Amino acid sequence: MILQNVTETAAKGWVECRVGDFNLQTEWEVQPGQVLVLFGPSGAGKSTTLRAIAGLLRPVRGHVEIGGRTVYDSDEGTWLPTHERRLGYLTQQYHLFPHLKVAENISFGLSDRNSASAKERVNELSNLLQLDELEERYPWELSGGQQQRVALARALAPRPAMFLLDEPFASLDSELRRNLRRELRVMLAQSPVPVMLVTHDREEALALGDSVQVINEGRTLVTGEPLAVLGQPGQGRVARLVGVENLFNLTIAERNPQDGTMSCIGQGLRLEVPLDSRITEGAGPEGDQDRVTVGIRASDIILAKEDLSGSSARNRLQGKVIAVESRPPGYAVTLKLSSDHDAEILRCHITGAALDEMGIRVGQQLWAVFKASSCFLVDEEQPTESSPD
Amino acid sequence: MARLNPTTRLTNHPAGILGGSGAILYVLFIGLPVLALLIRSAQQSDFLDAVTSDTALTALRLSLVTSIISMAVVVALGTPFAYLLARSDQLWARVVDSLVELPLVLPPVVAGVAMLMAFGRNGLIGSEMTSLGITIPFTTTAVVFAQIFVASPFFIRAAKLGFQSVDRDYEDVAQTLGVSPWRTFFRITLPLAAPAMFTGLGLAWARALSEFGATMMFAGNLTGETQTMPLAIMSAMETSLDGALALSVVLLAGSIMLLVGLGLLTRRRWQRR
Repeated sequence: MILQNVTETAAKGWVECRVGDFNLQTEWEVQPGQVLVLFGPSGAGKSTTLRAIAGLLRPVRGHVEIGGRTVYDSDEGTWLPTHERRLGYLTQQYHLFPHLKVAENISFGLSDRNSASAKERVNELSNLLQLDELEERYPWELSGGQQQRVALARALAPRPAMFLLDEPFASLDSELRRNLRRELRVMLAQSPVPVMLVTHDREEALALGDSVQVINEGRTLVTGEPLAVLGQPGQGRVARLVGVENLFNLTIAERNPQDGTMSCIGQGLRLEVPLDSRITEGAGPEGDQDRVTVGIRASDIILAKEDLSGSSARNRLQGKVIAVESRPPGYAVTLKLSSDHDAEILRCHITGAALDEMGIRVGQQLWAVFKASSCFLVDEEQPTESSPD
Repeated sequence: MARLNPTTRLTNHPAGILGGSGAILYVLFIGLPVLALLIRSAQQSDFLDAVTSDTALTALRLSLVTSIISMAVVVALGTPFAYLLARSDQLWARVVDSLVELPLVLPPVVAGVAMLMAFGRNGLIGSEMTSLGITIPFTTTAVVFAQIFVASPFFIRAAKLGFQSVDRDYEDVAQTLGVSPWRTFFRITLPLAAPAMFTGLGLAWARALSEFGATMMFAGNLTGETQTMPLAIMSAMETSLDGALALSVVLLAGSIMLLVGLGLLTRRRWQRR
């Protein structure tokens, strides 16, 4: 309570780290009560960033501010050890202390563990996280979800000035993950501190993030709102990292400035996509300026049994179902857009109810329908650096 | 690690047939002498007299006192040392690590001679120590020295493995919770490594109690001063077999009690068994 004013300060900083051959440069700023998602493939440098902020790893250079205090500054020679940084740090493996009972785990970070106020704090948190009946148990007697709730309570108990969450739900099943995410949201609303969350799960980033920072190979590619960054990413590398399901390399056939659209063709496809100013201005080398990469999210596509020619959607493609896979919470349907063996394929996500109702099965002919505005242009930089994987 | 499928019928498995005969032979080989010792002692009429004789009680007391002092030194100095070995991957640590194994392969008699060459009256540093009025060889201190020399590797190795088995992430998480590295060591690392350390302590203690060769060479066989149980058994053999038998049974009982006691301490109440 005394430290309430401290917790309402933004966490910010930058670090340069070297771990073996790996170089990392990150910069961040998170407002209290906000969640910044670090998104990227494994080995991108997300966890290294969190470890550097926590002081578990010494950066080459940098400046780290937590709760309004500078805990690290390479120029001034400031270095506060981890235990003085007032952090809440949650890991994928929970790391509950196996020799301590649940209540002892929760009170571990409290300065006077046997005081009445410490007991009160433990009770308060076990109430909040529904752990009351488990206080006398050992960690091995708990389920995965219970273990993570204890880890969360333990991290919350000393009232940290910042939260670092390193894929906290990655080893739980999807339903439990959704429940815990909701609980985490409630917790965070109650203690408004800056939160940094590492994940490579798009759904998690969208559910929890107030902003998303995409990291790859130790560099930040883009920072922005989750829906903008993860929904319609503007960069080719980002699009691949966040898993845009459909990317087509096409050529501009016709521009329709009055509609704000253009027609792009290639590989037996013709798509209506939004007109892009950068391309009409003719940047880029001669001959390349008409080539574009178009992205469409699988969840933006509507499947129909008949041609919806009377609809407002500008794009209607016919294709044959070549695969139907479960992709919780729904299904992924893959269409082959012509009979050529190298024809383009289109991935669509639909719900289980839609799948049942339409009776979709492999071999069926279906129509894929989507708006021009569901298509977005993706910048392909020249391959100056080796691409990941 | 490959494991036998529990549903495999061991009677049809090579491991079952060979291992089974091995197990029977082993039980006989170890059990028969122990049994013989007990039977012969039981046939003695003056067993209690032999056990409670002055020589026996003095030797027993000396063995207990010296081995407890040795273990205290080994645990106090060996624990931080083992932690350092477990957590350091530098070259010097690996060199020192292999040095820890040396007393295990060195014949105890050689260890005794070597210590005499170092701390003896004319030894490497022994002559300086003598001029300072410190004498180690053929004293009770020498008994402790010999025990530490031969027994410490058992504890240090086990403690090192114990510390290595404690995931460093536990220590990291503890520190993010605001607990200093020192307190983390005592509240997390040490309790988690304790079972392995108790196992090592049991082995080291048993080794110290049974120490003979190095003690004989470096400390001698003086009743009440350097004559521990094993040396007393040796001396008793020269005069009466019965005395030696009685002392042997006492040492055997002590060793078994040690084994059981430490076995209880090694149980981890916090883990699924």
